[in-house]
Amino acid sequence: MKIIDYKLEIYKEILDRPLGDSNGPSGNDLIYSSILKIETDEGITGIAPLGNEYVKEFFPILENEDPREVFSIWKKMIDFVFKGGDEGEAHGALSAVDIALWDIKAKINSEPLWKTLGSNEPRCKVYASDIGYNLTDEELHSFFSKMAEKGVDSGKVKIGISLDDDIRRIGIVYDALSKATKRPRIMIDSNEYWSVKKAIQNIRKIEEKFDIFWAEEPVRRWDYKGLKMVSDNIKAAVSTGENLNNVGDFYSLVRNQAADVLNVSSYQSGVTGLRQISNFAYAYEIPVTTMNCIGNYNAHIATSIPNHIMMEVVDPGREKAYSKWNDNISDGYLELDDTPGIGLIVDEDSLDELKNQKIDREPKKPWGRRKGAGLYIHDFEKDEVKWK
Amino acid sequence: MKITKIETTLFEYKLDRSMGDANSPMGRKKASGCVLELITDEGISGISIGGQNALPQINSIFDGILLNNDPKAIFSIWKRMVEKYFKGGHDGIANDAISAIDVALWDLKAKINEEPLWKTLGGNNNKVNVYASDIALPINDDDLFNWYSKMSDKFGFKGGKLKVGLDQESDLKRLELMHNALSKNCDDPILYVDSNEYWSPKQTIRNVSEMEERFTLGWIEEPARRWDFLGLKKVSDSLQTPVCAGENLDTLGDFLPYFHHRSADVIQVSHGMTGISGALQIADAAYALELPVTLGGSSGIIHAHIANAIPNCITVEVPHPEPETKVFTSDVTIKDGYAFVGNKPGMGIEVNYEELAKHKVEKVSQKAGPSPYGRRPGAGLYEIPPTKEEISEGQSK
Repeated sequence: MKIIDYKLEIYKEILDRPLGDSNGPSGNDLIYSSILKIETDEGITGIAPLGNEYVKEFFPILENEDPREVFSIWKKMIDFVFKGGDEGEAHGALSAVDIALWDIKAKINSEPLWKTLGSNEPRCKVYASDIGYNLTDEELHSFFSKMAEKGVDSGKVKIGISLDDDIRRIGIVYDALSKATKRPRIMIDSNEYWSVKKAIQNIRKIEEKFDIFWAEEPVRRWDYKGLKMVSDNIKAAVSTGENLNNVGDFYSLVRNQAADVLNVSSYQSGVTGLRQISNFAYAYEIPVTTMNCIGNYNAHIATSIPNHIMMEVVDPGREKAYSKWNDNISDGYLELDDTPGIGLIVDEDSLDELKNQKIDREPKKPWGRRKGAGLYIHDFEKDEVKWK
Repeated sequence: MKITKIETTLFEYKLDRSMGDANSPMGRKKASGCVLELITDEGISGISIGGQNALPQINSIFDGILLNNDPKAIFSIWKRMVEKYFKGGHDGIANDAISAIDVALWDLKAKINEEPLWKTLGGNNNKVNVYASDIALPINDDDLFNWYSKMSDKFGFKGGKLKVGLDQESDLKRLELMHNALSKNCDDPILYVDSNEYWSPKQTIRNVSEMEERFTLGWIEEPARRWDFLGLKKVSDSLQTPVCAGENLDTLGDFLPYFHHRSADVIQVSHGMTGISGALQIADAAYALELPVTLGGSSGIIHAHIANAIPNCITVEVPHPEPETKVFTSDVTIKDGYAFVGNKPGMGIEVNYEELAKHKVEKVSQKAGPSPYGRRPGAGLYEIPPTKEEISEGQSK
């Protein structure tokens, strides 16, 4: 079997509700979505729910190659971008290609990716994540209650700008998830908004009221000494990694025991890269947790990671182009089925509709950093969030 | 598809040379193996050569974990095997069993997909770097020179590994012989030396420093005990030569002190110790740490499949460039100093059942076991050169 062509679909998608965090608390309900399709001479098409124009730079590496040789293709792509590094647009394209190739590899065997990767337990523990600093208290409670009704007993809440409000909102999450369990696991995420000392001050205050499972990105992604300092001064685990690109980026974090939990994602050099990082962390007795992703396909990969805790799920409605995705959550687990590949099926009619819809505004891109980050807390501005 | 049956057949065979290292200068003339076959309800079977000391453990894992399980679920099965031995640790004989089964499962998975293992692992059959490894401290200097000459002339090897440790004068002379034999084929052969934990760190530093005056070495292997992560690091800090270690470690966790302390410059893994699943994990961790990996000797050179899918593999050890026994054939060939892996499904190991019946044994004899002689006196303290009796036994045919 040979790779013969690819197609990149890029379209605007209006979400069911805005997503927001400490850097953009007002939220954003319009995104660019993309789908990469890699086509073979035998009619099997691999897809990835991401990708960008840089794919065309990689395509000569893939063309006429056997898609089952995904490791070798990954290696050639990594070596191709050596000088500039596996970063930025190149990085996003590389991840997309790798995911689409794994999708093909599983489809060739007529099996779901979890089986290709050697699992026979097609389920993955999940936690709910609002990514909704913009949500009102009622909306926040309603989101986590809905997830608790599906048995989800762990939740992550966006915080960072107002300690008193943050503590109140953590209480709301705790209360909502208490429907599922006596002691819900609570994670907090300040998205690199704090300095090291502000992180320690705030998390300690929060820990007086709540037992926190992990505190995510308390300081900047590369500040391994700062992350370690936070970890040494709080009870909660420090998690980080979602903004790192590949296994090499994790070197200083792991070598210096800077993080207690690693956030891993197939955006980090694809399925191949995610597995490398997880094995690296496994050697160091560090657990990993998979990030949210369009269509929840990370759950397939998680089934064969020995040190995986649970996967993030968000439900802003990013799957309008798909007739099928991995959305079956019950008893706190995402249950995977036997759909071949990564479990996503594109609905071409819906995709055409999305591509043809007239939207006269532009998605907020890139996601910038908020004023004061790492220095001081810049309070909510008037009407920045509707609940304040 | 389900695993329904297991068959294990022990066999012994005569070696083509007297094999031994610093711990066994008297050598051994025979070796043993086990053909392990996992058979499915659809008639496809997965093969592994190994686990000859671990039959009770293999059978116990089969009854408790493999029977009626889907063979494609290698990760889940691996995890259950490892967790079964949690308390005692998956080391020693239990680890031999896990590793042998894991290899057979990977063979099976590739066969189910009707593809060679290198493709299942995502590789694309590039030629793989290899080096010749005599593992023959007992043989005399002429035989050593002739063996490496054959490796050079017939197979094109550009690197060789010498067993050293008991007699520095002799080691220096033999290093020269290996160098000269391999120089027929290339200007600058890579010379590896292996003292198999016979030396203390300081003995290593003294002896290898002297070698370094005359030769550039590819690595010094196991220059201190496997668990002595500070000793290994001290050796590395004191020599130009890279330190290679790991062949006697069983699991990813065993490597953690090496990783924390950067004790080794080259990480050695082998399917016999970690299975294929474990070897891939260790390679990933080493890759993250910018440490290269080398794969040890393997029956039928099946490590060439795995090397195809490891980003940081530098070279693969080859003690036998042609099959060492008639019991099985391999789809890996050595040519021009590289291993080439063929397209037969799975690992490409095919058992010759007539030969297997001829070589079959009920119990592996002590002299054909994997480590028949144990550790040699003087190890880690001072060198005791081979005695006349050891030399005489080692060089007898």
